[in-house]
Amino acid sequence: MTNISSSAVSAEQEGPLVPETPQAPGPKARPAWRSLNFGPRMWVSLGMILAIAVLAFIGPLLYPYAPDQKVGGLYDAPSPEHILGTDNFGYDVLAVLMASTRNSLINGLLAGTLATLIGVLIGVVAGYIGGWLEEALMGITNIVLAIPAIVILILISMSLQSTDIPFLKGIVGLALVIGITSWPWTARAVRAQASSVATREHIDVAKLSGARTGGILVFDVLPYLASYIVMAWVLQLASAILAESTLSMLGLGPSGTNSLGMQLHWALAFQAVAVGAYWAFLPPTIVLTLISFALLYLQSSLDEVFNPRLRRGKKKNLARAAARRAEAARKLAEQIEGRQEVTA
Amino acid sequence: MSDSIFEKPSRRSFLKLGGVVAGSIALAACAGGGSGGSTASGGASAGAKPGIGNNGQMGKGRSGATADSLLIAGFQWGPPATFNPLSPTAAWPAAANVMQIVYETPLRWNILTGEIMPGLAAKYELDGTNSVTLTMQDGVTFSDGTACTAKDVVFSYELGKKNPGINVASFWQLADSMEAPDDKTVVVKINQKTKNVGNVLRMLTENYVLPQSVFSGIADDKLPTEVMDKPLGTGPFTLDKADQTQVVLTLNDKYWGKTYYGGLPVMKQIIHPIFKSNEDGNIKFQAGELDIMQQFVSQIWKMWEGGKPVGTFLKDKPYYVPGSMPMLLMNTTKKGLDNAAVRKAIATAINYADIAETAMSGYSATVQPSLILPTGAESKYFNADDAKANGWSYDAAAAEKLLTDAGAKKGSDGIYVLNGTRLGPYKLITPTGWTDWNASCEIIAKSLKAIGIDCSTNFPQQAETTQAIQGGTFDLAVWYVSGVNPATPWARFKDIMSQSEMQPIGKTTFANYGRWKNSEVEAMLTEASQATDDAAKKAAYDKLDALYRKEVPACPIMYRPDEFYEYNATNFYNWPDEKNSYAPPMFRGAGNTWMYKIQKIAG
Repeated sequence: MTNISSSAVSAEQEGPLVPETPQAPGPKARPAWRSLNFGPRMWVSLGMILAIAVLAFIGPLLYPYAPDQKVGGLYDAPSPEHILGTDNFGYDVLAVLMASTRNSLINGLLAGTLATLIGVLIGVVAGYIGGWLEEALMGITNIVLAIPAIVILILISMSLQSTDIPFLKGIVGLALVIGITSWPWTARAVRAQASSVATREHIDVAKLSGARTGGILVFDVLPYLASYIVMAWVLQLASAILAESTLSMLGLGPSGTNSLGMQLHWALAFQAVAVGAYWAFLPPTIVLTLISFALLYLQSSLDEVFNPRLRRGKKKNLARAAARRAEAARKLAEQIEGRQEVTA
Repeated sequence: MSDSIFEKPSRRSFLKLGGVVAGSIALAACAGGGSGGSTASGGASAGAKPGIGNNGQMGKGRSGATADSLLIAGFQWGPPATFNPLSPTAAWPAAANVMQIVYETPLRWNILTGEIMPGLAAKYELDGTNSVTLTMQDGVTFSDGTACTAKDVVFSYELGKKNPGINVASFWQLADSMEAPDDKTVVVKINQKTKNVGNVLRMLTENYVLPQSVFSGIADDKLPTEVMDKPLGTGPFTLDKADQTQVVLTLNDKYWGKTYYGGLPVMKQIIHPIFKSNEDGNIKFQAGELDIMQQFVSQIWKMWEGGKPVGTFLKDKPYYVPGSMPMLLMNTTKKGLDNAAVRKAIATAINYADIAETAMSGYSATVQPSLILPTGAESKYFNADDAKANGWSYDAAAAEKLLTDAGAKKGSDGIYVLNGTRLGPYKLITPTGWTDWNASCEIIAKSLKAIGIDCSTNFPQQAETTQAIQGGTFDLAVWYVSGVNPATPWARFKDIMSQSEMQPIGKTTFANYGRWKNSEVEAMLTEASQATDDAAKKAAYDKLDALYRKEVPACPIMYRPDEFYEYNATNFYNWPDEKNSYAPPMFRGAGNTWMYKIQKIAG
């Protein structure tokens, strides 16, 4: 069973082209992860995501103020005690920002993962199986795609807010709503990839060896789509976080929870812009921008990792890789020659 | 609720259009434009002129086209549709009970003193609870020069008999007849079943006198729908032009009240620019491009601290004179909330200071445990000693003690259980977009959770909220009751405690939304409405308020001004304020007095 991500990695390592020569352990044995050749973009985006995650999950443990603790008045300006000032409730903006970022990330993870799961399931089944099932599934997908998602989101979240089921009222409820409305484009893209994979020879081999459809989907189709799915998932994360913020900013977010959109909602409602309380609306805006930017950047750098044709890097490294490839080709040719000699 | 400034649809629809980041960036850009546009208008040394900015500053006066114009805002938000004062969508200043510029009322209410001042009627006389007699001013005319007599007054009020869909129709539930024995006298016979003098006077201060010559030509069923673009009233200004950007009014040199007010207003024009949002108006106001407005401004003190000649009536917090009290309504048919101890614990648990400081931008004084406003017109009825002895104030520990004394036990989830009923989850509702109320709800929900009552907020659309409140299907709600007027505090007690309008759950009612049941309150309400002198009224209100404090069917959460009165002394001075209080801080009613008294700074 081949796996596209491992083949991507192997393409990167340039190793498997060359049969392992036991007598030649390179002078500098690089650990496997170093040879992933992530590139500077990847490191920058991973660094940003890590910084945001630290702010969201570790920050609250270290910060002395709680997000629901009134520490000042309406829009107190930043001071040494409260470096981002206070919001319209008199809460410390940084404390609220950390809680909000955490909730927004959790929401994004839940919603993005759900949307990706639904999209992949529908896309793979439709793409691989084809026929009337494909027509039906893609018909549904196109219909859902045609309905403006924001309208559905607003309608469902409004009714969610007035339910009495506590589970649905929190960020989990909102994540569900976002997740079940944002899968269609993933489904369409995955279907296209899956139907191309479905025509490859190894699928025929799997079929001939008696594998069941479910098994083929999981072991022979999905692995070839893995790189694409990971990238789609990253995009879904970003768009889910933005969708949550949009809803919350419109006042449709979960009651009593902090989120980046909620912060913007209150800042707008209390005319932070008009009274010049920039500390109330800039931090959530900046964090939101950073999150989406980092995720999109991560997505594009993942694209480079998975697709060698897009790979960029230092010229020196490229030249070295080209040399390695040439060397590998030469050795392969030698071996083949050798074998031919032996057979001859 | 026209005074909650945040529900203006234009702003919300704007928000809906913008995405998150795009929205904030666009707004940040607006702010940049705003600060750039605010030309310095302060700076001139003020000398000893009365009624100038809170910082003692005033401007140098405007030059150019608007030098002789009063620029006013905060009353008209969309394109003016009609100037028919009987239309529910009438444009300012023909809309019901607004500043008396074009139309005037027989009497005028003063929110500060509680007095009923002369209007088109020079005086009124009460005959116990039997009748009110109005005597008209001398020489009242409409702006076309025709006389306005007692017959026009009677005609205007009797329009309410012809069409039940107009405001004045409810006058005929309070009065039996209105007659004009001669051109200068109007006699109103008060309905002897209700004997509600206060409400009759209120209607006489709120309903305009209209020209019989114009309105007798309109079919009865067309009265509220007839489109009018040339309003004819008795006021000092006439409509010059109106479009979607502004309403312009011109001074009527032949105004009948020239002698009564000791001269005509100093401005030749009144211009009301129509803004898309509150923020547009606030920026213009700060820049001195508006002289006076009725708009919510967050942290208005920043304007005079920044050197602008901006003033409010009160020079210290809360800056505005309280005129209404939004209430936390509790549905007494819900388990847990049917217990007076729980309701009192809720009232005691709310952090009123937080609400006043943050949600209300500091514009609310400390809330008293009473249905009577402790300041201004109603203060004479307020019993401070009893409020202190038997009332409540924010104290989380005391609130928990009220619960434990009633026999409640804290469950493992931190929420109290009383007689097998878990206190909550209660849903606290108020309309979405009523921002200061939304923020108050968040603070209340947090306060209640802190003492062990489970509560979460929910902000449906206004229509849905209204339906839930009137139908009694809510748990907790923040809602309004009667603001200060000649009929309060009686009307407010009726709004909260009335038994006569009780309806079962699901049926619409317009009073006692919490369905609170009591057998003795109705007699007390009748006693209060029929009391004729202040001592008897005070005694009746004392009894009502004591019962209210014992039962707590609802509790006030903040005081709001009746109107946001704020001025910018760039072009005019002698605005009324607490040191120069010749007029109340109002636009409607007796607030019209300042229109005749403000003076131009330049020239």
